[in-house]
Amino acid sequence: LFLSPSISLSLSMAAWDLSVAVEDLGTDAPPITVSVTSDLHIGGVILKLVEKSQVKRDWSDHALWWEQKQQWLLRTAWTLEKCGIQADAGLIFMPQHKPLRLGLPNGLNLRLRVCFSGPVFRTVLGICKMLNIRRPEELSLLRPVEEKKRKKVRDLSEELYDLTEVPLTSVSRPCLYNGMPAHFADSPKTEKVYKMLSVSQPAPAPEAIAKLYRPASVVDKAHIHSRWLDSSRSLMEQGVQENDRLWLRFKYYCFHDLEPKYDAVRLTQMYEQARWAILLEDIDCTEEEMLLFGAIQYHINKLSLSEPQTMTSSPAMDDLDSALQCLEVKLDGANSSPQDMLENLTAPELNDYLKIFRPKRLTLKGYKQYWFKFKDASISYYKSKEESLGEPIQQINLKGCEAAPDVNVAGQKFCIKLLIPAPEGMNEVYLRCENEEQYSSWMAACRLASKGKSLADSSFQSEVQSIRSFLAMQQTNPNTHTDDSMSINTHSLVSPRYSKKYKAKQLTPRILEAYQNVAQLSLTDALLRFLQIWQALPDFGISLVVVRFKGSRKDEVLGITPNRLIRIDLGVGEVVKTWRYNNMRQWNVNWDIRQVAIEFDGNVNIAFSCVTADCKIVHEFIGGYIFMSTRSREQSDTLNEELFHKLTGGHEAL
Amino acid sequence: MEQLSDEDLDHTDGGEEDSDKEDQDLDKMFGAWLGELDKLTQSLDDGRPETVQKAPQKAPLRQETNMANFCNRFSMYNINEALNKGGEGVDLDSLMADLCSIEQELSTIGKPNSGKNRLGVPGDAKLRQKPPAGRGTKGHGGAGGSGGGTSSSGGTRRPLASNLDDITAQLEQASLSMDEAGRQSSHSLASSVGTVSEHAVRSISQSSWSSVNSASASSMDSLDSYLRPSEQDGATPTPQGSNQGPPGSTEVGQPVKNKHHCKYNPEREREREREMHSYLDWETSLILQNIAGKPSHLLTKEEQVAKKKAEKIRVALEKIKEAQVKKLVIRVHLSDESSKTMMVDERQTVRQVLDSLLDKSHCGYSPDWSLVETINELQMERIFEDHENLVDSLLNWTRDSQNRLMFIERIEKYALFKNPQNYLLGRKETCEMADRNKEALLEECFCGSSVSVPEMEGVLWLKEDGKKSWKKRYFLLRASGIYYVPKGKAKASRDLVCFLQLDHVNVYYGQDYRSKYKAPTDYCLALKHPQIQKKSQYIKYLCCDDVRTLHQWINGIRIAKYGKTLYVNYQEAMKRTEAAYDWSSLSSSSIKSGSSSSSLPESQSTHCSSDSGVAVSENNLSGHSRSQSQVSSIFSEAWKRGTQDEVPPVLTPSPYPVTCLY
Repeated sequence: LFLSPSISLSLSMAAWDLSVAVEDLGTDAPPITVSVTSDLHIGGVILKLVEKSQVKRDWSDHALWWEQKQQWLLRTAWTLEKCGIQADAGLIFMPQHKPLRLGLPNGLNLRLRVCFSGPVFRTVLGICKMLNIRRPEELSLLRPVEEKKRKKVRDLSEELYDLTEVPLTSVSRPCLYNGMPAHFADSPKTEKVYKMLSVSQPAPAPEAIAKLYRPASVVDKAHIHSRWLDSSRSLMEQGVQENDRLWLRFKYYCFHDLEPKYDAVRLTQMYEQARWAILLEDIDCTEEEMLLFGAIQYHINKLSLSEPQTMTSSPAMDDLDSALQCLEVKLDGANSSPQDMLENLTAPELNDYLKIFRPKRLTLKGYKQYWFKFKDASISYYKSKEESLGEPIQQINLKGCEAAPDVNVAGQKFCIKLLIPAPEGMNEVYLRCENEEQYSSWMAACRLASKGKSLADSSFQSEVQSIRSFLAMQQTNPNTHTDDSMSINTHSLVSPRYSKKYKAKQLTPRILEAYQNVAQLSLTDALLRFLQIWQALPDFGISLVVVRFKGSRKDEVLGITPNRLIRIDLGVGEVVKTWRYNNMRQWNVNWDIRQVAIEFDGNVNIAFSCVTADCKIVHEFIGGYIFMSTRSREQSDTLNEELFHKLTGGHEAL
Repeated sequence: MEQLSDEDLDHTDGGEEDSDKEDQDLDKMFGAWLGELDKLTQSLDDGRPETVQKAPQKAPLRQETNMANFCNRFSMYNINEALNKGGEGVDLDSLMADLCSIEQELSTIGKPNSGKNRLGVPGDAKLRQKPPAGRGTKGHGGAGGSGGGTSSSGGTRRPLASNLDDITAQLEQASLSMDEAGRQSSHSLASSVGTVSEHAVRSISQSSWSSVNSASASSMDSLDSYLRPSEQDGATPTPQGSNQGPPGSTEVGQPVKNKHHCKYNPEREREREREMHSYLDWETSLILQNIAGKPSHLLTKEEQVAKKKAEKIRVALEKIKEAQVKKLVIRVHLSDESSKTMMVDERQTVRQVLDSLLDKSHCGYSPDWSLVETINELQMERIFEDHENLVDSLLNWTRDSQNRLMFIERIEKYALFKNPQNYLLGRKETCEMADRNKEALLEECFCGSSVSVPEMEGVLWLKEDGKKSWKKRYFLLRASGIYYVPKGKAKASRDLVCFLQLDHVNVYYGQDYRSKYKAPTDYCLALKHPQIQKKSQYIKYLCCDDVRTLHQWINGIRIAKYGKTLYVNYQEAMKRTEAAYDWSSLSSSSIKSGSSSSSLPESQSTHCSSDSGVAVSENNLSGHSRSQSQVSSIFSEAWKRGTQDEVPPVLTPSPYPVTCLY
């Protein structure tokens, strides 16, 4: 490759023809031939090419792609000779940015213009900047799972939102306009797309979930991770073509500096990824956890439909004036508080005939009707309304109790199950209401009282509302699908396993029960809570790869997590050993025999070859996580791209 | 007293006035007990023991109150209890000190009320704060007050408006000049309150049914009640009828009070019209509405005045809230079997109580000092977490509780953070770790976006309900609760059965369950709702094979339950320890802890303090108080550790929160 200067000088004299295909002229157009010498630099070739093409346009994004060698000629100062190009090199002159179909975590498919020439890491940075996702280093691209029944699925999954016309901003942090990045605010169409990015999608139909690919085994889960693209090489170099489909996903499960104020899209997409991981049983959880996830999903769906502005209009008390205003409003509020006091004197009450049943009593009598009075945080009951001025038969203080629904809308059964703590243990009491209305307000009162709040609490009405809407949900026939938000099928909130296990009639009350604990959360808080519970699952953040350990004869699974490596027995699924990055001294990859070797403190050495994924992927995961752990210390916002490549690049980076 | 007669009349119209009346009832009960107590102490001081007998005589009283009114019952009982144990002079004295300081606060709030009567008499507030001793003058002062009020009652809106400033000023003054206020005679106090108590007895028996809901009326009510003191008169067709006090009532201040109420009747009508602004005058509130949203520099002078006024009111409201904080007199046991009595208020966290205990007991500032709840009846104990609210936890105890609160050093408390590698890594064997790595490990575990619960799993023994037999089960700890693997299943997440969710239960160390429940080992833990105090099927007992497993499980459960709070607690405790070695910073840190306690959680204050709110005005009118110097000396006395012969703790049957006051 390196010729001596004298020879190259002599060679350079000779001009030769280089033919270059220009992509923009169409595939049928003949390649343009330019006369070059070996000492001509790439920039010169491009200049000649453009002149000869006689097309007047902006060629600045274009570069030469060496098809044969699958590489870009991006160093325009290099000579043809230095690049090793000779007359037979089939070069293509093409734009570096091309449209790509991008599947987002929420299932949305976008068509947008991305960089095909830079390393994938760069490409992801560009995509995230455009979509307004902070901390792009946590995401990456992967090839989608091939869908076997492609024909069937196509029609419903292929709605594509075109963002190729959206200009890319060069500002590092896009300025917000109307609560969205300025480049989205240009047209109503893009505004709509941004809304879809930043607001979670309605629950899918249970049938649709059942049809989607679900990893059935550990090996299946491991296979998913063989699809990640190499961050240090470009899309073109990895065989990705214009208009190909790729997925954008969170790859590294350590989410740094999550700030709802700026992270509308990031938070939503993270939630969607978590939701789908749970719905598709990619991550295992218990029944109780699943029901809670279902309940939060329901809550988020409802809020997303009713208040789409919440994410952007979060109260930002940026300046003193608004803070002052807030104070004045508060004082104004205090102004009317004597009114409240008056109301408190005649504290709000609920009075009605209800039926009560105490299962603990030995007597077999069932529900008995009394006149009930709910005041403050306790229930008292009397023989009749007329006697309600006298001594109650009993008064029950509900503070600290557990109030669970026992409801069957179809059967017109509206019971409240109360578990009331007492020094002797828990007392079980059932209250039976006549109808939904009655149930909603009494249940709401019980819920508030259990938290030590009185009926006068401001959340009472919203609590009543949420109970009502959930009851309404139970009422609708799951067979008639309408667009109405309230008729969400509870089966679409849980994974197919639980859909199969329970009928809607059994499932709904249990989700309702879990829902009570989250009903008061704001949209942002609900999203955060969902993520928090997801992150607290024992299996969270474990990326699996099938490996063969040195000296072992069987395949095993390596789990890569944000803080450790786990060796898992493939047969039993049992954790054999964990190694923490904290104790890691160094790791090496022998690219020739594709083996990863890691040394830990105390002379612990392990080595393995990768079975399901390329060892570059494993290497990148480990290096990536170590990179992620360096972020928190330097509190700066600037991304140390160089360090990332150093840790993840492998031999290509050197 | 006329309020009593109001009550009699109230019986006929029922309904709306309930809460008012209850408050009065409680109020009187409260007053009554204060009075009793006062008398008692005096007689004790005088060396006449027969008065001690008085308290038990009153005991049946508490049965009159409604069962559900737990808190009140509790408080009364405890006062009673304390009196029964009157033999220990120091305790009673310190108790008195506490009571007096509460009283002090109560009268502080009450003053604005009387201030209202004395509009236009600027010097009056001070005058009142150092009234001459003796009951005659007491009545006199009250009369003077009402006279002043009468003179100004003909005014239009102005009285109310300036009244506000008055209240604020008085509040400030009063809180500053506690000493002055304290110089009131305790003699007049005792006698006047004593009479109140008799009324209280009657009123309680008459209307015990109505005292049901009083506990939860908002603390703001009390403000209301003194801003519109004539509210109760609305139910009284003829205010003069209130003179029909019970026979034998010798309350000196009574006629004065009647006057005071009558006087307000004309004023009241106007007040009704202005209900919207019943504590801000019309102009002020209008101005405030107008300026809402305006930047401050654009305000006119008038508007700024209005704003200042509003601010003052806010401060006043806060002070009132402050004064109505629930207090609990507790006895804390030390490892040397001595004990201390102290008062905690409902806003204090365990950390704050520990800090003040540490400050006073000179036992070093190790972060391991803990408050430990021992439940003798169930043979279990728990170290209170630093962030927990002590009063809330102690209110779960029953009134005849054998529970104890211990103040001792427990290494278990923060062992988790001193050697995290033994708890967080799920290892079977103890090991050493470099400090740097420990920090990293803690950071990783507690400072991420979610706390990672240690992966605890393994075979534990579970006690069968109602039996003394134990079964082996494979348990797993997750952030969402404790699970077990059902028979014949693998331990895949989806097949796990939920054993317990941790929201409503606390984890306790079991003591000697080997003999009590035939447990297989001594390493037992129990999980129960904090309110459960007796044997119950709702208490779950687990038994570990070794002590290490026990500690790992307990700490795992703590992490799952409290998350990052636990780590924050530890860091706070360490900070405290470090600060303690620097003597100059010591004082500042204690100031800090004091000031932080003043930001009270709203929900608590709104629910618990209503009774005292009304009691305030009552007490104020009867005007009792006690010398501050005396109080403080008694209080500090209480802090000296009792000598061994004074406190035979092993035999003392009930060493628990002695008093609960509102």
